[in-house]
Amino acid sequence: MTRRAFLINIIKSFFALLAAGVFAALWYIYPSTAKKRRLQYVFVLDDDELPKRGVRKVEFKYSVDDSEILNRAFLVVGEKGLNVFSPVCTHLGCYVNWDNNRKEFLCPCHGGRYNVYGQVIAGPPPKSLNRLPFKIESGKIYLGVTV
Amino acid sequence: MGKVLDWLDYRFGLKRSHYRFLQRRVPSDLGYTYCFGGMAFTYFLMLACSGLLLSLYYVPSEKEAFRSVVMITDEVTLGWVIRGLHKWSASLFIISIILHTIRVFVSKAYRPPRDLNWMIGVMTFVLVMFSGFTGYLLPWDQKAYWATEVGTAMARSVPFIGDNIMNVFRGGPEVSGATLVRFYSLHILYLPLSIAVLLWTHFHMVKRQGISRNL
Repeated sequence: MTRRAFLINIIKSFFALLAAGVFAALWYIYPSTAKKRRLQYVFVLDDDELPKRGVRKVEFKYSVDDSEILNRAFLVVGEKGLNVFSPVCTHLGCYVNWDNNRKEFLCPCHGGRYNVYGQVIAGPPPKSLNRLPFKIESGKIYLGVTV
Repeated sequence: MGKVLDWLDYRFGLKRSHYRFLQRRVPSDLGYTYCFGGMAFTYFLMLACSGLLLSLYYVPSEKEAFRSVVMITDEVTLGWVIRGLHKWSASLFIISIILHTIRVFVSKAYRPPRDLNWMIGVMTFVLVMFSGFTGYLLPWDQKAYWATEVGTAMARSVPFIGDNIMNVFRGGPEVSGATLVRFYSLHILYLPLSIAVLLWTHFHMVKRQGISRNL
């Protein structure tokens, strides 16, 4: 191969590399979560298993894209009926625990405290615990999760 | 040149106006050390391209910045590649500039009439360092935050107006969301545009003055 042909090949492969880069860029630009998320209701508990007043922790499983997910939630029965809270602390995402003596949700990581309505009493959390959608049909409680 | 390029050139006249530049004689004894400037410019182009792509997903806000960087790295297709390219190009950019500066210094290419070009080069280098500093804050993690805290605090050591300078950099007395927006704006608008203008003058002078002879 002559020196000139070699250099021309180098330039050509440079353009090929550039084209590959353009394709990679297009691939990168295309949204990776183009799939629409929808709400799906998952059975967790019969409603006669609920406490009359108080908090019950539940664990439930469902699958998203063929992978099984174990999730948790707090079912809180108060004066106004049932509320469902996500156990994920709104500060940095640790799981909060229900302290039945103090009647508070406590976050073990940075000491965030929430009352029984999920509102922040103390600590760093910026907002209340997230409420999860739920429905009760013929004595069974279903929680709404996005899949 | 290929047909497409000829078609373009017939209308655009790029070849004609750059004929003297494209066909100029280059000293035959130039070594590979003369490539550092070109390497630095290549890194600049790569930074521009990958930066444009990153800006599609990055959110410059106090609450979203860190999460969006995590998303770019973990969720976006090839996001880790683009972010990696930007990060590594940035480091290699600065290294190439330093090597280029050493080459210019050693070959005495800073002497008149190239003295102005040396000054332009130094200004570019300062702006590039600023780019690096402002870009370092954007991931908005602990390392970024404290590096900026310490870096901007250095401005306080300026006599009399030190505190004012620091406040201008931080957009307030503390490193906050305002600092992030300020640095973001500098990093993606002011600095790259200024660097591009400086580089244009840099290359223009190289074109007019030719390559300095070796020692």
